Amino acid sequence: MMTLLYVLLGTAFGFILSRSGAADYNYIQAMFLFERFQLYGIIGTAVAVTAPGVWLIKRRGRTAAGRSIEIELKPLHRGNILGGLLFGVGWSIAGMCPGPIFVNIGEGKVYALAALAGALVGAGVFGAIYGQIQQWFRLPPLALGTGDG
Amino acid sequence: MPLTLTHMPPLHWAVAGTGIAAVTLCLLFLANRRLGISTGFEDMCSFVTALPYFRRSSVRSGRQWRLPFVAGLLIGGFLSAVLSTGWRPIWDLGMLDQALALGPIGKLAWMFVGGLFIGFGTRLAGGCTSGHGIFGLSNFELPSLITTISFMAGGIATTQLLYRVVFHWQG
Repeated sequence: MMTLLYVLLGTAFGFILSRSGAADYNYIQAMFLFERFQLYGIIGTAVAVTAPGVWLIKRRGRTAAGRSIEIELKPLHRGNILGGLLFGVGWSIAGMCPGPIFVNIGEGKVYALAALAGALVGAGVFGAIYGQIQQWFRLPPLALGTGDG
Repeated sequence: MPLTLTHMPPLHWAVAGTGIAAVTLCLLFLANRRLGISTGFEDMCSFVTALPYFRRSSVRSGRQWRLPFVAGLLIGGFLSAVLSTGWRPIWDLGMLDQALALGPIGKLAWMFVGGLFIGFGTRLAGGCTSGHGIFGLSNFELPSLITTISFMAGGIATTQLLYRVVFHWQG
Protein backbone atom coordinates (compact mmCIF):
# COMPACT_ATOMS: atom_id res chain seq x y z
CA MET A 1 0.00 0.00 0.00
CA MET A 2 2.69 2.49 1.01
CA THR A 3 4.68 1.61 -2.12
CA LEU A 4 1.68 2.58 -4.23
CA LEU A 5 1.40 5.86 -2.34
CA TYR A 6 5.06 6.66 -3.10
CA VAL A 7 4.57 5.85 -6.78
CA LEU A 8 1.47 8.07 -6.96
CA LEU A 9 3.15 10.99 -5.16
CA GLY A 10 6.19 10.62 -7.44
CA THR A 11 3.94 10.59 -10.48
CA ALA A 12 2.20 13.80 -9.40
CA PHE A 13 5.57 15.40 -8.62
CA GLY A 14 7.01 14.31 -11.96
CA PHE A 15 4.01 15.55 -13.94
CA ILE A 16 4.20 18.96 -12.27
CA LEU A 17 7.97 19.22 -12.86
CA SER A 18 7.41 18.25 -16.50
CA ARG A 19 4.75 20.89 -17.13
CA SER A 20 6.25 23.71 -15.06
CA GLY A 21 9.54 24.32 -16.88
CA ALA A 22 11.61 22.79 -14.04
CA ALA A 23 12.52 19.91 -16.37
CA ASP A 24 13.11 22.16 -19.41
CA TYR A 25 16.66 23.10 -20.46
CA ASN A 26 15.65 26.57 -21.68
CA TYR A 27 13.84 27.49 -18.47
CA ILE A 28 16.81 26.46 -16.32
CA GLN A 29 19.18 28.62 -18.38
CA ALA A 30 16.67 31.51 -18.35
CA MET A 31 16.62 31.28 -14.53
CA PHE A 32 20.41 31.44 -14.28
CA LEU A 33 20.51 34.26 -16.87
CA PHE A 34 17.90 36.22 -14.84
CA GLU A 35 15.68 36.33 -17.93
CA ARG A 36 12.65 34.48 -16.52
CA PHE A 37 10.98 34.57 -13.12
CA GLN A 38 9.29 31.15 -13.63
CA LEU A 39 11.70 28.91 -11.67
CA TYR A 40 12.24 31.46 -8.89
CA GLY A 41 8.46 31.69 -8.57
CA ILE A 42 8.09 27.90 -8.42
CA ILE A 43 10.79 27.35 -5.77
CA GLY A 44 9.70 30.42 -3.79
CA THR A 45 6.04 29.35 -3.77
CA ALA A 46 6.96 25.77 -2.87
CA VAL A 47 8.98 26.95 0.15
CA ALA A 48 6.39 29.58 1.16
CA VAL A 49 3.62 26.94 1.22
CA THR A 50 5.70 24.02 2.58
CA ALA A 51 7.15 26.00 5.53
CA PRO A 52 3.87 26.68 7.37
CA GLY A 53 2.70 23.16 6.48
CA VAL A 54 5.80 21.57 8.04
CA TRP A 55 5.36 23.82 11.09
CA LEU A 56 1.75 22.67 11.52
CA ILE A 57 2.61 18.98 11.07
CA LYS A 58 5.48 19.28 13.58
CA ARG A 59 3.19 21.06 16.05
CA ARG A 60 0.68 18.22 15.71
CA GLY A 61 3.64 15.89 16.14
CA ARG A 62 1.99 12.87 14.52
CA THR A 63 1.45 11.52 11.03
CA ALA A 64 -2.03 10.84 9.71
CA ALA A 65 -1.69 7.30 11.05
CA GLY A 66 -0.56 8.51 14.46
CA ARG A 67 3.19 7.78 14.31
CA SER A 68 5.40 10.43 15.84
CA ILE A 69 6.96 12.75 13.27
CA GLU A 70 10.70 12.17 12.86
CA ILE A 71 12.61 14.46 10.51
CA GLU A 72 16.17 13.37 9.83
CA LEU A 73 18.25 16.58 9.83
CA LYS A 74 21.09 17.03 7.34
CA PRO A 75 24.55 17.65 8.84
CA LEU A 76 26.41 20.96 8.58
CA HIS A 77 29.93 20.68 7.15
CA ARG A 78 32.33 22.21 4.62
CA GLY A 79 30.89 19.99 1.89
CA ASN A 80 27.69 22.05 1.88
CA ILE A 81 29.55 24.87 0.11
CA LEU A 82 31.84 23.00 -2.32
CA GLY A 83 29.25 20.29 -3.00
CA GLY A 84 26.60 22.94 -3.62
CA LEU A 85 28.88 24.82 -6.02
CA LEU A 86 29.73 21.62 -7.95
CA PHE A 87 26.08 20.59 -8.13
CA GLY A 88 25.20 24.08 -9.42
CA VAL A 89 27.77 23.70 -12.21
CA GLY A 90 26.18 20.38 -13.15
CA TRP A 91 22.63 21.78 -12.97
CA SER A 92 23.68 24.51 -15.42
CA ILE A 93 25.50 22.17 -17.83
CA ALA A 94 22.75 19.53 -17.96
CA GLY A 95 19.84 21.92 -17.48
CA MET A 96 18.34 19.51 -14.97
CA CYS A 97 18.64 18.80 -11.27
CA PRO A 98 18.14 15.26 -9.90
CA GLY A 99 14.31 15.08 -10.00
CA PRO A 100 14.08 16.36 -13.59
CA ILE A 101 16.75 13.86 -14.72
CA PHE A 102 14.18 11.11 -14.08
CA VAL A 103 11.28 13.20 -15.42
CA ASN A 104 13.18 13.92 -18.63
CA ILE A 105 13.94 10.22 -19.13
CA GLY A 106 10.21 9.51 -18.77
CA GLU A 107 9.40 12.27 -21.26
CA GLY A 108 11.64 10.60 -23.84
CA LYS A 109 14.60 12.99 -23.72
CA VAL A 110 17.28 10.47 -24.66
CA TYR A 111 20.24 12.55 -23.46
CA ALA A 112 18.86 12.50 -19.89
CA LEU A 113 19.99 8.86 -19.72
CA ALA A 114 23.57 10.10 -20.05
CA ALA A 115 22.97 12.64 -17.27
CA LEU A 116 21.74 9.80 -15.03
CA ALA A 117 24.76 7.65 -15.92
CA GLY A 118 27.05 10.57 -15.06
CA ALA A 119 25.23 11.20 -11.77
CA LEU A 120 25.54 7.56 -10.73
CA VAL A 121 29.26 7.53 -11.57
CA GLY A 122 29.71 10.84 -9.71
CA ALA A 123 27.93 9.46 -6.65
CA GLY A 124 30.00 6.26 -6.90
CA VAL A 125 33.26 8.23 -7.02
CA PHE A 126 32.16 10.17 -3.95
CA GLY A 127 31.40 6.93 -2.11
CA ALA A 128 34.78 5.52 -3.11
CA ILE A 129 36.81 8.49 -1.81
CA TYR A 130 34.64 9.23 1.25
CA GLY A 131 37.32 7.95 3.63
CA GLN A 132 39.97 10.24 2.10
CA ILE A 133 37.95 13.48 2.11
CA GLN A 134 35.89 12.87 5.24
CA GLN A 135 38.25 14.57 7.66
CA TRP A 136 38.93 17.73 5.65
CA PHE A 137 35.25 18.34 4.87
CA ARG A 138 34.27 17.27 8.41
CA LEU A 139 31.75 14.81 7.00
CA PRO A 140 29.89 12.64 9.51
CA PRO A 141 31.12 9.10 10.30
CA LEU A 142 29.38 6.34 8.38
CA ALA A 143 26.55 4.72 10.33
CA LEU A 144 26.49 1.25 8.80
CA GLY A 145 23.53 -1.04 9.17
CA THR A 146 20.83 -2.98 7.44
CA GLY A 147 18.23 -0.23 7.82
CA ASP A 148 15.79 -2.68 9.33
CA GLY A 149 13.68 -1.46 12.19
CA MET B 1 8.46 30.60 -24.16
CA PRO B 2 6.98 27.15 -24.99
CA LEU B 3 8.23 23.98 -23.31
CA THR B 4 10.52 21.73 -25.39
CA LEU B 5 8.23 18.77 -24.67
CA THR B 6 4.71 20.13 -25.18
CA HIS B 7 5.32 23.20 -27.39
CA MET B 8 2.90 24.93 -24.98
CA PRO B 9 3.49 27.50 -22.21
CA PRO B 10 4.19 26.04 -18.75
CA LEU B 11 1.87 25.94 -15.74
CA HIS B 12 1.72 29.19 -13.79
CA TRP B 13 4.58 29.23 -11.24
CA ALA B 14 2.18 29.65 -8.32
CA VAL B 15 0.23 26.55 -9.38
CA ALA B 16 3.39 24.48 -9.88
CA GLY B 17 4.92 25.65 -6.60
CA THR B 18 1.75 24.86 -4.66
CA GLY B 19 1.56 21.41 -6.25
CA ILE B 20 5.18 20.68 -5.27
CA ALA B 21 4.42 21.83 -1.72
CA ALA B 22 1.34 19.56 -1.60
CA VAL B 23 3.40 16.48 -2.56
CA THR B 24 6.13 17.42 -0.06
CA LEU B 25 3.61 17.81 2.77
CA CYS B 26 1.81 14.57 1.85
CA LEU B 27 5.14 12.69 2.07
CA LEU B 28 5.71 14.03 5.57
CA PHE B 29 2.15 13.79 6.89
CA LEU B 30 1.19 10.43 5.39
CA ALA B 31 4.55 8.64 5.39
CA ASN B 32 6.91 10.47 7.80
CA ARG B 33 9.41 11.07 4.96
CA ARG B 34 11.40 14.19 4.18
CA LEU B 35 11.46 14.94 0.45
CA GLY B 36 14.85 14.30 -1.14
CA ILE B 37 15.62 12.90 -4.56
CA SER B 38 19.40 12.92 -5.04
CA THR B 39 19.84 10.34 -2.29
CA GLY B 40 18.14 8.05 -4.80
CA PHE B 41 21.49 7.95 -6.65
CA GLU B 42 22.92 6.26 -3.56
CA ASP B 43 20.03 3.81 -3.46
CA MET B 44 20.80 2.78 -7.04
CA CYS B 45 24.55 2.57 -6.44
CA SER B 46 23.90 0.40 -3.38
CA PHE B 47 22.70 -2.40 -5.65
CA VAL B 48 25.97 -2.64 -7.56
CA THR B 49 28.70 -1.69 -5.09
CA ALA B 50 29.67 -2.95 -1.65
CA LEU B 51 31.51 0.26 -0.66
CA PRO B 52 30.81 1.13 3.00
CA TYR B 53 29.30 4.51 2.03
CA PHE B 54 26.46 2.70 0.24
CA ARG B 55 25.89 0.29 3.13
CA ARG B 56 24.77 3.00 5.58
CA SER B 57 21.55 2.21 7.38
CA SER B 58 19.96 5.43 6.07
CA VAL B 59 20.51 4.26 2.48
CA ARG B 60 19.02 0.85 3.09
CA SER B 61 15.97 2.20 4.90
CA GLY B 62 15.42 4.92 2.28
CA ARG B 63 15.31 2.52 -0.67
CA GLN B 64 11.82 1.32 0.29
CA TRP B 65 10.26 4.68 -0.43
CA ARG B 66 12.72 6.56 -2.62
CA LEU B 67 12.86 4.01 -5.43
CA PRO B 68 9.05 3.85 -5.86
CA PHE B 69 8.97 7.66 -5.73
CA VAL B 70 11.64 7.87 -8.44
CA ALA B 71 9.69 5.33 -10.53
CA GLY B 72 6.76 7.74 -10.17
CA LEU B 73 8.89 10.59 -11.54
CA LEU B 74 9.52 8.51 -14.67
CA ILE B 75 5.80 7.75 -14.99
CA GLY B 76 4.88 11.41 -14.44
CA GLY B 77 7.21 12.51 -17.25
CA PHE B 78 5.92 9.73 -19.49
CA LEU B 79 2.25 10.66 -18.87
CA SER B 80 3.05 14.32 -19.46
CA ALA B 81 4.39 13.39 -22.91
CA VAL B 82 1.56 10.97 -23.76
CA LEU B 83 -1.09 13.53 -22.77
CA SER B 84 0.41 16.35 -24.85
CA THR B 85 2.24 15.69 -28.10
CA GLY B 86 2.51 11.93 -27.64
CA TRP B 87 5.60 10.07 -26.41
CA ARG B 88 8.55 10.09 -28.79
CA PRO B 89 12.34 10.06 -28.42
CA ILE B 90 13.50 13.69 -28.07
CA TRP B 91 16.95 15.07 -28.83
CA ASP B 92 16.02 18.80 -28.88
CA LEU B 93 18.03 20.94 -26.50
CA GLY B 94 16.64 24.41 -27.26
CA MET B 95 19.17 27.14 -26.58
CA LEU B 96 22.09 24.72 -26.55
CA ASP B 97 21.19 23.64 -30.11
CA GLN B 98 21.32 27.28 -31.19
CA ALA B 99 24.61 27.95 -29.40
CA LEU B 100 26.41 24.69 -30.18
CA ALA B 101 25.27 22.31 -32.91
CA LEU B 102 26.13 19.10 -31.05
CA GLY B 103 25.35 15.71 -32.58
CA PRO B 104 23.89 12.84 -30.56
CA ILE B 105 27.30 11.68 -29.25
CA GLY B 106 28.22 15.24 -28.32
CA LYS B 107 24.95 15.69 -26.42
CA LEU B 108 25.40 12.44 -24.54
CA ALA B 109 28.96 13.43 -23.59
CA TRP B 110 27.80 16.94 -22.54
CA MET B 111 25.08 15.47 -20.33
CA PHE B 112 27.38 12.82 -18.87
CA VAL B 113 29.79 15.54 -17.74
CA GLY B 114 26.92 17.54 -16.24
CA GLY B 115 25.74 14.37 -14.50
CA LEU B 116 29.16 13.79 -12.94
CA PHE B 117 29.02 17.21 -11.29
CA ILE B 118 25.42 16.59 -10.17
CA GLY B 119 26.14 13.17 -8.68
CA PHE B 120 29.36 14.13 -6.90
CA GLY B 121 28.16 17.59 -5.86
CA THR B 122 24.82 16.51 -4.40
CA ARG B 123 26.50 13.74 -2.40
CA LEU B 124 29.15 16.08 -1.02
CA ALA B 125 26.51 18.72 -0.18
CA GLY B 126 24.14 16.08 1.22
CA GLY B 127 21.18 16.97 -0.98
CA CYS B 128 19.82 18.84 -3.98
CA THR B 129 17.06 21.27 -4.93
CA SER B 130 14.42 19.10 -3.28
CA GLY B 131 16.02 17.94 -0.02
CA HIS B 132 17.95 21.14 0.73
CA GLY B 133 16.19 23.73 -1.44
CA ILE B 134 12.56 22.88 -0.77
CA PHE B 135 12.37 20.75 2.37
CA GLY B 136 15.44 22.08 4.18
CA LEU B 137 14.64 25.76 3.61
CA SER B 138 11.01 25.13 4.61
CA ASN B 139 12.26 23.57 7.86
CA PHE B 140 14.71 26.47 8.48
CA GLU B 141 17.83 24.27 8.40
CA LEU B 142 21.13 26.19 8.21
CA PRO B 143 23.03 23.57 6.11
CA SER B 144 20.22 23.80 3.55
CA LEU B 145 20.44 27.58 3.35
CA ILE B 146 24.22 27.39 2.83
CA THR B 147 23.87 24.64 0.21
CA THR B 148 21.05 26.40 -1.65
CA ILE B 149 23.00 29.66 -1.88
CA SER B 150 26.02 27.64 -3.09
CA PHE B 151 24.25 25.72 -5.85
CA MET B 152 22.40 28.80 -7.08
CA ALA B 153 25.77 30.61 -7.20
CA GLY B 154 27.39 27.69 -9.05
CA GLY B 155 24.55 27.54 -11.58
CA ILE B 156 24.39 31.29 -12.17
CA ALA B 157 28.17 31.57 -12.61
CA THR B 158 28.32 28.63 -15.04
CA THR B 159 25.38 29.67 -17.22
CA GLN B 160 26.50 33.32 -17.27
CA LEU B 161 30.01 32.22 -18.27
CA LEU B 162 28.77 29.78 -20.93
CA TYR B 163 26.06 31.91 -22.52
CA ARG B 164 27.28 35.50 -22.03
CA VAL B 165 31.04 34.94 -22.44
CA VAL B 166 31.63 31.73 -24.42
CA PHE B 167 28.53 31.59 -26.65
CA HIS B 168 27.94 35.40 -26.90
CA TRP B 169 24.23 34.67 -26.40
CA GLN B 170 21.85 37.42 -27.55
CA GLY B 171 18.69 36.71 -25.51
